Amino acid sequence: MSDPRTGSGEVRVFADYQRDFTEVADVVVVGSGPCGAVAAYELAAAGKRVVLLEEGPPFTPADFELEGSLSMARTMREGGLRFTMGTVMPTMQAIALGGGSLVNSAICNRCPDFRFQEWANEADLARTSRKDLEPHYDAIAAFLGIAPTPDAVQGPRNLLFRDGCKQLGYGSEPCPRNVRECRGSGECFTGCRARAKQSMDISYVPAAIQLGARVLTSVRAEELLSNGRRVTGVAGRVVAPFSGAPGPRFRVEAKAVVLAAGVLASPLLLQRSGNLANSSGQVGEQLQFHPGTSVLGVFPDPVDPIFGATQGYQCLHFLRDGFKLETLWAPPGVLAVRMPGMGHQFKQELLDLRFATVFDAIASCHRSRGRVRERGKSLQPSMRWSFHPDDAAILAHAVWVMAEIFFAAGARKIVPGVASHADEMHSIAEAESLRSRPPRARDMVCASTHVFGTARMHGDPRHGVVDEDLKAHDLDNLYVVDTSVFPLSPAVNPMFTGMALARRSALALAERV
Amino acid sequence: MTLPGLIALALLAWAVLRFAAGYGPRDPALRQLSAREYALVCAAADAAFPPGGVIPLSGTQARIPAHADRYLAALPPRNRLLIRLLFVLIEHATLIFPAPGWDGWRRFSALSLVQRMAVLEGWAHSRFLPRRLAFQGLRAVLTMGYFACPAVLRAMGLAPLAIETPVVAADLLYPPIGQPKSSIRFGVADLDRAVPRTPLDPRGPLQPGFEAPPA
Repeated sequence: MSDPRTGSGEVRVFADYQRDFTEVADVVVVGSGPCGAVAAYELAAAGKRVVLLEEGPPFTPADFELEGSLSMARTMREGGLRFTMGTVMPTMQAIALGGGSLVNSAICNRCPDFRFQEWANEADLARTSRKDLEPHYDAIAAFLGIAPTPDAVQGPRNLLFRDGCKQLGYGSEPCPRNVRECRGSGECFTGCRARAKQSMDISYVPAAIQLGARVLTSVRAEELLSNGRRVTGVAGRVVAPFSGAPGPRFRVEAKAVVLAAGVLASPLLLQRSGNLANSSGQVGEQLQFHPGTSVLGVFPDPVDPIFGATQGYQCLHFLRDGFKLETLWAPPGVLAVRMPGMGHQFKQELLDLRFATVFDAIASCHRSRGRVRERGKSLQPSMRWSFHPDDAAILAHAVWVMAEIFFAAGARKIVPGVASHADEMHSIAEAESLRSRPPRARDMVCASTHVFGTARMHGDPRHGVVDEDLKAHDLDNLYVVDTSVFPLSPAVNPMFTGMALARRSALALAERV
Repeated sequence: MTLPGLIALALLAWAVLRFAAGYGPRDPALRQLSAREYALVCAAADAAFPPGGVIPLSGTQARIPAHADRYLAALPPRNRLLIRLLFVLIEHATLIFPAPGWDGWRRFSALSLVQRMAVLEGWAHSRFLPRRLAFQGLRAVLTMGYFACPAVLRAMGLAPLAIETPVVAADLLYPPIGQPKSSIRFGVADLDRAVPRTPLDPRGPLQPGFEAPPA
């Protein structure tokens, strides 16, 4: 990309706002995460006047924190301490230009066709298949350089996963990622210092700016403005980075609104804007997650885990069983939390981290659903969600399979992180209890960053919020283009499919506005 | 005042003293931690990471309280309050459920190291999920603080590697957080600066600030 300042667009940061202001645009996009960024770029490329709103600030490498808790406190909503009620489960959403792409591991999987067929059955969809979305996947892949993670940056901890899967006959593959010239720092979750990850803040957003988009950061959309069947714009406040202290007010008047604030914020904005787009009663309902859990394995020889792609290898062998397996690395302090013991024993265990790697599983949980509402007038979500025992059983099965892979790869022990079982297991025979006595939901330490369903796409306006172009059934010019439109889990990491749907939606909108 | 009244008053005074009084001074450099929170974090940090052993630094030597203070400062107010409530819970739970030993009916920070470790072990393996979650929350704060210490990371072979950060087009657009755009220090010429794009060497130099001090 050439100098993005030569274009007609601009970016504004917190220091740029002195007083209340109004902007006029063809389209205002709320949220600069993967879906919003793609939509903003495509609309700008189509010659539309685009304003892109983002509540968080842009992060430069000087703003990254290498230590896990401080990084999460700065880049995540509610300091990374957001959790569901009902079944208590942490869930993390980023607040930054580029949204979650700044701090995710860049995995870009295409949703398998069997899952699209389940979507079609669940939500009366006629033109949302893998074949329908393939051109959009391809265009995004070309733009971001999405490619399988090369062996040169896998590092031993990712390759051990491959070896274990191979021993057991489970197919595995390098994770496709939106990364160029990865150096294997394993720092995806705290911000890529090597600037290899093509997060939205350094890819689609600058490209949109070069095409004329105006990007307003540190502004919080608080209300969608509407008149009858039309939305007329967005109103909100400038907010200070990190503290959220409110500043001047703003308004963006536009011919169309693209809502891409995320699965938890998009429905809240609709609810607080006079319960917009909710004749179906589905706004904020059908909240679904990919609950994830992990197992740590310790090998006889040093693995040097500080080198290697954060999530370099994956196993799609069990997708139809309801789960996906991946390798995982995170700031060492985050991983150490799971190590057993106290005092000197704990310290001894910590030395094992140099010999360790982590595998994780994410589960498609169609029976586990919940809802989201605003917590008072806080603009923060209150989530109620229940982990269905049958879905928990899927994740428990995945824990057993991860144990199998570790021992097949030569691990000398595993730390399953399951409360109802031994802290450590030293052989596949010891781990057998994970299969014979599967852990229950409350025994597993789960977390989730993949969320869906709170403004679902449905062919029938009585049962869904948006149509297959992601236009709200109830309104003529409101589009919801984040993963809240997924009627069900995509079986794999959702970012790429959300972007593909957003691109298709933006191209349709560009024809209409 | 009647005798029962006097006894009730004495009990109340004892309870107040046990709950809130008698804390030593806190580190004046801290911005968030109160004297009580500082005492609790120091006591818990050294129970989780006692001095000596395979990694010689204790929790307080690794400056866990300073990290906890920074962490609290970085959190939004509501979440800061949750962490503070967690600290209150841990500090005073032993006034209701005592630690082992005849003198176990004291605040957590007043217990001996052995008693503190026993208390935390009890929370860690409790059959009661909220108690386990409280323990995990506390240990997460302590452990991430321990891992924020460069000497600890070096001892474990997990210190981050040095990375030369290239300048990308986006760096011409965004200033550091809180700064005006006039503070952007990169120009088009910086885009051409040659930086390595090859895989890192796990044996390569460490990130500045994480290297061992000169002997």
